[in-house]
Amino acid sequence: MLRRFLDWLERETGLVSAWHRFWSQPLPATVGWGQIFGALLVLCLVILFVTGGVMMFYYSPTPDQAYASVQYIEHYLPFGKFIRALHYWTARIIVLLLIIHMVRVFIWGAYKKPRQMIWVTGVLLLLCVIGFGLTGYTLPWDQKAYWGTAVRLKIAENIPLIGHAVANFLRGGEQLGAVTLMRFYVLHVFVLPILVFVLVAWHIRQVHILGVTPAWVKVGQEDEIPKTQRLHPDHTARIAAGALVLLALLVWLSVKFPAPLEPRANPLDTAYKPHPDFYVLWLHELLKLFPPHLEFFGSFVLPTILVLLLLLVPFIERNPERHPLRRLPAITTGLVILFAIIALNIKGMEALPQPEKLSPLAKRGQELFVELRCYTCHGINGGGGPVGPDLGLGGKRDPKKVEAILRNPGSFNAHTVMPSYDLPPEEMRALVAYIVSIGPNSKMPPIPPVEPEKPPSHFEENWFANHKFEVRKDPASCGDCHKPFFCQACHQNRRPSSHDEQWLKFHFGNAAEQPAMCNACHTPDYCEECHKLMRHDTKWLKGHGTQLAKFGETKKWSGLTMHQLCYHCHTKQSCDECHKGALPESHKAPDFLQKHGELAGVEDLGLGTGNKEKVVVARKSQHACSTCHTKQFCDNCHMGKKPKSHEQPNFVLGRGTRDEGRVKSGHAVEALSKGQKSCQTCHAQQFCSNCHGTEMPHPQNFVNIHVAEARKDMALCQRCHTWSESECRQCHSKRPPSHTPNFRKTHPQQITDGGVGCQVCHGRNACMDCHKLPMPHPNDFVRTHGELAKQRGIKGKDSVRQLQKQLCVNCHTDSYCRKCHLPEFAQKR
Amino acid sequence: MTRRKWLDKFVKFSAGIVAAFLSIPSLVMLVVPAFRRERAPWIRVGHLSEFRPNEPKAVTLSYQRRDGWVVRTSRTTVYVVVLGEGKVKVLSNICTHANCAVRWEKGRQAFFCPCHNGYFAIDGSVKSGPPPRPLDEFPHKIEGGEIFVRLQV
Repeated sequence: MLRRFLDWLERETGLVSAWHRFWSQPLPATVGWGQIFGALLVLCLVILFVTGGVMMFYYSPTPDQAYASVQYIEHYLPFGKFIRALHYWTARIIVLLLIIHMVRVFIWGAYKKPRQMIWVTGVLLLLCVIGFGLTGYTLPWDQKAYWGTAVRLKIAENIPLIGHAVANFLRGGEQLGAVTLMRFYVLHVFVLPILVFVLVAWHIRQVHILGVTPAWVKVGQEDEIPKTQRLHPDHTARIAAGALVLLALLVWLSVKFPAPLEPRANPLDTAYKPHPDFYVLWLHELLKLFPPHLEFFGSFVLPTILVLLLLLVPFIERNPERHPLRRLPAITTGLVILFAIIALNIKGMEALPQPEKLSPLAKRGQELFVELRCYTCHGINGGGGPVGPDLGLGGKRDPKKVEAILRNPGSFNAHTVMPSYDLPPEEMRALVAYIVSIGPNSKMPPIPPVEPEKPPSHFEENWFANHKFEVRKDPASCGDCHKPFFCQACHQNRRPSSHDEQWLKFHFGNAAEQPAMCNACHTPDYCEECHKLMRHDTKWLKGHGTQLAKFGETKKWSGLTMHQLCYHCHTKQSCDECHKGALPESHKAPDFLQKHGELAGVEDLGLGTGNKEKVVVARKSQHACSTCHTKQFCDNCHMGKKPKSHEQPNFVLGRGTRDEGRVKSGHAVEALSKGQKSCQTCHAQQFCSNCHGTEMPHPQNFVNIHVAEARKDMALCQRCHTWSESECRQCHSKRPPSHTPNFRKTHPQQITDGGVGCQVCHGRNACMDCHKLPMPHPNDFVRTHGELAKQRGIKGKDSVRQLQKQLCVNCHTDSYCRKCHLPEFAQKR
Repeated sequence: MTRRKWLDKFVKFSAGIVAAFLSIPSLVMLVVPAFRRERAPWIRVGHLSEFRPNEPKAVTLSYQRRDGWVVRTSRTTVYVVVLGEGKVKVLSNICTHANCAVRWEKGRQAFFCPCHNGYFAIDGSVKSGPPPRPLDEFPHKIEGGEIFVRLQV
């Protein structure tokens, strides 16, 4: 079946015999391992073509998607990482192989007549490969891609006269962006592949026609070398062996060292330092040799001369000899140029950032740097967030100062948004050691990918400055990824800029629309602090005056009084809208001014009673004076002015002594007649007790408790009241209930107050009337009672007995003495 | 000619290895994603206590939808209906007749579609009007009082 198909194909096209002719081409005997590199280059091109083609299925050449699509290839597709790494490493190996191939051809003299055009197409292919490298560099749209491309375009711009036009053509405009990326993409996957395909076909076709150059024979004597081998399988076996080695190398490199992918391109991150690929390092070193105004010599003139020289090699060097020793000038010139390039390249590699050698402590610090997400704000020679300064910049750092800043960033810059890091000493030392070790060649440590991915907006220019507007547009979308306290990481040190002096006036609208934003910093009950007092509900209208009066001038709310709070939304006129001309009915009475004191004093609200000097604001009913008036309002008239009654001569103290019968003081008369509330218009309730020491006037149930009160401190009563006279007798004309028939016997037990209560009726010496002794017995009575008889002038043998009969027997029995005076004692006597 | 044959086999074997190393990863990379099925994620709607029985409440969900390497934030409104005895339904607010948005009319105790006067009962079934089938219901689950919904009919 296959044979029949091939026969048919041969008949129709002759392809099969051409295929066989190609592979069975005879080769000179001297062709060996040196001649396999051309075929390996083809293999490299095939690998690049296949891997690139597969990636084209998934790559999107737009700035906002390119990076994400490369990440998609890397992380979501099976073998994606491998394919991309294979493409990456093959692209680098192909340059090395090209150089080896070219040097080999140069030393073998294989470009000599009639094979000049093979060399020229080869040089054009080299240019194409470099073009692939330059365009492919841009496609991942990571930091390296963006900034590397920016540098290259800048170099192109330095060419005199045409530079700007060339750069603009490559960029597709003045700006490095979407158009640039698309151009580079099309160059990379369409224009250059076609060129390469054509050139490779031509190159191989010519080799096929003209044959492989045999080693070391003069031009025109090639046929002297016998053709003892065929392309297949003699030479293809060598190629196959080389291909296997090459493949193993590529696969090993791809698996071991995945293609780098730096953070997404950030046009803001000016701290980023792009480093050129190894095969153009010598060009960058060349640039450094020229003064700035002659830079284009290094960047344009010299490379152009070099390329022209390369193209013209077969036409310049027309020495028919092929053996290197017989054409020393050409070989030495070529080798000198090659070694110059290699030397420059080595010098350039020294300038590349060396891999950091971190101490174990600093290594731990580096882990902490990633753990604490320092990179969100700080870059290390690029790569980090745009918020804080790049740590790669700046000179040597003082560990103590670094620690101080970490612990309290505010001490360094009062307006900083950096959160403080109060780490345990060990971790702090590690982190400080790492930060101190960061230099201009340090690199950002690998950062684990964060899920979910950052949206493209986060990479836009000015994102950090503008994020607040995005937040306002749709806070819910921030909440998809960020916790509310995410904001606090920065804002704990700084109020949002919206919170200016006018903020209080307008905050309600924001808060009502996006409570989530407020909750980022404030707890939900934060509003309550002010708003529980001023909920503008239906009840509010009735109570607002009271609240105003209650908090008066106290500065409770961030240094604002309640009035000032109201004025954030209301003007003074807005009070007048209701209150002007809307006096309560009571105020319209003609004698209101005279009576207002009484009206005000009807019902005590309990407001402001704490300070007796201050005017008590009382209110009559639901509508209190304080609804409209503050305490100070009363002072307008009353301050320093006393009512007329207070000016009477006997207003404070009554007249006359206790025995004569007292005339009541004026204030007592007034208080009793007008009622205590009238006093309380001005005075606090406690005002009375300043002098009286007890509640005045006596409360209603005082009659019931006055006995107990009086017993506590009779002297207090005596300030106003006299006893044994009219006042007590008014009630106490009858014997008190305690004076039962056997009261005479039991009264000693009932007298607990030292007889003061008895004195109300009985007078001070009432006890003496019966007892003839001070009662109760004084303290030293036990000691002195023996002397009593002598004192009383009772004489004789039984004086004690007589005394007993006169006095003691009233209360004590005979046996009472014997408690102490034992009978033995008496007999003895 | 054994050497020639051996070399020929070696060349073909090498070509096979190269081809395998190139083609297998490429084909896998191209083919496998075609057979990947991603289920819609569970999206949190709210806590049970936020919803009162027999009072459908509209909830606007914001969620990320992955389309290859493009992540888009989408929004969808659903009605959460708590029927008696803790039975929960998460209904689409899109009328099944002409894709207008329905709203809950408290007075009529029905979902009302203003486009062609369609009425749905509280459980989503058609009460009157042109809608051909009940409101779409999204699968939901309740974990620890939190309602999650999968936006997939």
